[in-house]
Amino acid sequence: MQPAKITELPPVGVVYDSNLGQGIDSVLALALLHGFAGKQQCRIASLTVNYPDLRAAQLCDAIERFYSSAANGDPFGPARSLPLGIVEGKNPPANLPVLAKAWKSDIRKWNDTAIPELVMRNALMANYDGNAVMVLCGPATNLASLLKLADTAPLLAAKVRVLAIAEGSFAADLPAARRVLAEWPTPIIFCPREVGAELPFPGSAIDSDFSYNPAHPIAEAYRAAGTMPYDAPAPALAAMLSAIKPNDGYFTLSGPGTLSLNSEGKTVLQPSAQGRHRFLKADPAQRELIAKLYTDMAAAKPVAPPPRRLPPQIVAEEEAAKKAREKK
Amino acid sequence: MIVTRKAVARRTLLRGIGATVALPFLDSMVPALATAATTPKPPVRMAFVYVPNGVDLRNWTLGYEGGLDRMSRILKPLDPYKQDINVLGNLTHNAGRALLDGPGDHGRCSASYLTGIQPRKTMSDIRAGVSFDQIVGNHVGAGTSFNSLEVGLEDARQAGDCDSGYSCAYTNNLAWRAESQPLPPVLNPRALFERLFGEDAALTPQARRRRNLYRSSVLDLVSDDAKRLARDLGPTDQRKLDEYLSSVREIELQIARADNDSIKIDPGFDKPYGIPADFAEHFSLMTNMLTVAFQSNLTRVATFLVTREGTSRAYREIGIPDGHHPLTHHRGQEELMEKVAQINTYHVAQFAKWVGKLKNIQEGDSTLLDNSMIVYGAGLADGNKHSHEDLPTVMAGRGGSKFVTGRSIVYRKETPMCNMFLTMMDRMGVPTEHFGDSSGPLEGLDLA
Repeated sequence: MQPAKITELPPVGVVYDSNLGQGIDSVLALALLHGFAGKQQCRIASLTVNYPDLRAAQLCDAIERFYSSAANGDPFGPARSLPLGIVEGKNPPANLPVLAKAWKSDIRKWNDTAIPELVMRNALMANYDGNAVMVLCGPATNLASLLKLADTAPLLAAKVRVLAIAEGSFAADLPAARRVLAEWPTPIIFCPREVGAELPFPGSAIDSDFSYNPAHPIAEAYRAAGTMPYDAPAPALAAMLSAIKPNDGYFTLSGPGTLSLNSEGKTVLQPSAQGRHRFLKADPAQRELIAKLYTDMAAAKPVAPPPRRLPPQIVAEEEAAKKAREKK
Repeated sequence: MIVTRKAVARRTLLRGIGATVALPFLDSMVPALATAATTPKPPVRMAFVYVPNGVDLRNWTLGYEGGLDRMSRILKPLDPYKQDINVLGNLTHNAGRALLDGPGDHGRCSASYLTGIQPRKTMSDIRAGVSFDQIVGNHVGAGTSFNSLEVGLEDARQAGDCDSGYSCAYTNNLAWRAESQPLPPVLNPRALFERLFGEDAALTPQARRRRNLYRSSVLDLVSDDAKRLARDLGPTDQRKLDEYLSSVREIELQIARADNDSIKIDPGFDKPYGIPADFAEHFSLMTNMLTVAFQSNLTRVATFLVTREGTSRAYREIGIPDGHHPLTHHRGQEELMEKVAQINTYHVAQFAKWVGKLKNIQEGDSTLLDNSMIVYGAGLADGNKHSHEDLPTVMAGRGGSKFVTGRSIVYRKETPMCNMFLTMMDRMGVPTEHFGDSSGPLEGLDLA
């Protein structure tokens, strides 16, 4: 339900659906998201994982615990109340170096996690019209499931400014990818691998900028993902940045068109003046600026969430009860 | 083969002047030559028992899945019936959340509980949605006297601001006939009784009291009819009929006691004529009547708003003079949390008595409980946090011997409560593709 009058919109809400832990790119994008959220430049509307490996949910849980609690002096306190969604499945766990580490988490079973398409839908319902963006890194499985829910297309059209897709393993679930490209009701910005390769994450920052906490989960994941030192290709970071900061000139865009998958499973853009899809393009002049921004934001210290306020009615009732007790 | 037994029609009524009493399901209602395939099955009934202000989750949650074993402190009263219930975890009502409407969780959670719709935040032009019990009632009500029954225990206004700008119509009703038309619960046992069995509800309390000095029992009014019928019944059905009519008589006596009841315990508000002063007795009386209504197929659908959402009712009956709602905002104070747990346990104890009654009523080779889906639940999980996920939910009964019971089932987080409604609609013979924010039927309840 959209209230009639909005005086000031809150920062844009980000719905982030990723293959967290399959590579380091998706993890860095989550760190970037937290950096912007800590500076009130966006809000984390929801987090979901789009491949069936509970260890990915545990990693996400560990990162969320870190960001939600580190600011209060307890690096591994309770996780935020935001439900974490992950697609359920029976695929045997793959040999993924980031997930090989035992991440501290209470998640043990599938029902410790949420149904991802419902997490996304419910999160979007809590956003003002046109004040949410979605970022996809990994297969389109969850987004296709979201499209299958009743009455979701109008919700997406109303709430979501843009869907930013990092190429990565987008086409790993081919039917889902085809469905999303064919039916998605909002503009799509597609970030090809090449952009991620042109704008990698500077690995030297891991030992310097993240050192304020020796148990920083992003730094630990980065070290686990490859042999240090290395600069990680980062299409998900580019997709995330373009979604949160579309008007700051970090990237350029192709002309409009319609995305589809060719016979090799490669995403291609058919130019069309009426098309709502575009390719993201790197701007060489922005490379250094973006590398610094990636570092500053991804390594930003956790920020304490604002304290919860009680509704006035409860405060009034408590005061009345207190007075009654005193009178007695 | 000579068939001597006469079949009694399912819709047989005992009639007298000013009174009509429907009959329970009797063996004689099964035709003598019926086979298993042609034997009419007792109808499936459904009811919701709603408690406000969430629960003390520490003492509600079982903490395990699978066969019900050790019951939590609050659920302990249901221990004798644990093979007849399922405890469901992680069901969520997203429509109860603030979304973009700010404070007012109590107003939202009750209005959205059976409608699956976030209500409009207003005190005047109210709007929610048609509740699913009404959809079911409209479909299955043709063979009954009432599409649905709405009952409650707490007198509550229907207008004004009851929660941060939400109309009292939202906190004080569960069933919604239309999106702007809630169905206020009947609080007065006599009014409900007369709705079920007689037509003198329009009399003033004084006139009714005067008339009661001379009036006979409803059973006296229909006694000739009852005797005629009994002659055609076998010994088992005669016993069933006797038991059933005795329970109707017991309700009459309970109501008569309530009429003459002086207020023994101050419940914190004025009690209208005919409402028992004692909470447990009031609860028992209303559920006795719902039982009879189900037993005799007067209705198949009921909602029971135990007390209104956000209520500050005190429970002096169990030594708690504090208001329920302020207690739930305990901010972690152990003393207040203990009182919340006591209130929650007290509520479940009353519910357990009703489950016991339903289990004791035989219908063919099953029980009334087997042929019911009685959901006990709340629109808030944690009353302190105002959370709308992992809502406390117990489903008693097997939905017409369709559900496996005796289990703790924990669904994945964010599973819509409306999924349970879809499943219940299906069991009630009203298959529906989508309701509220449902994503599909609730899995895991059905027999393999």
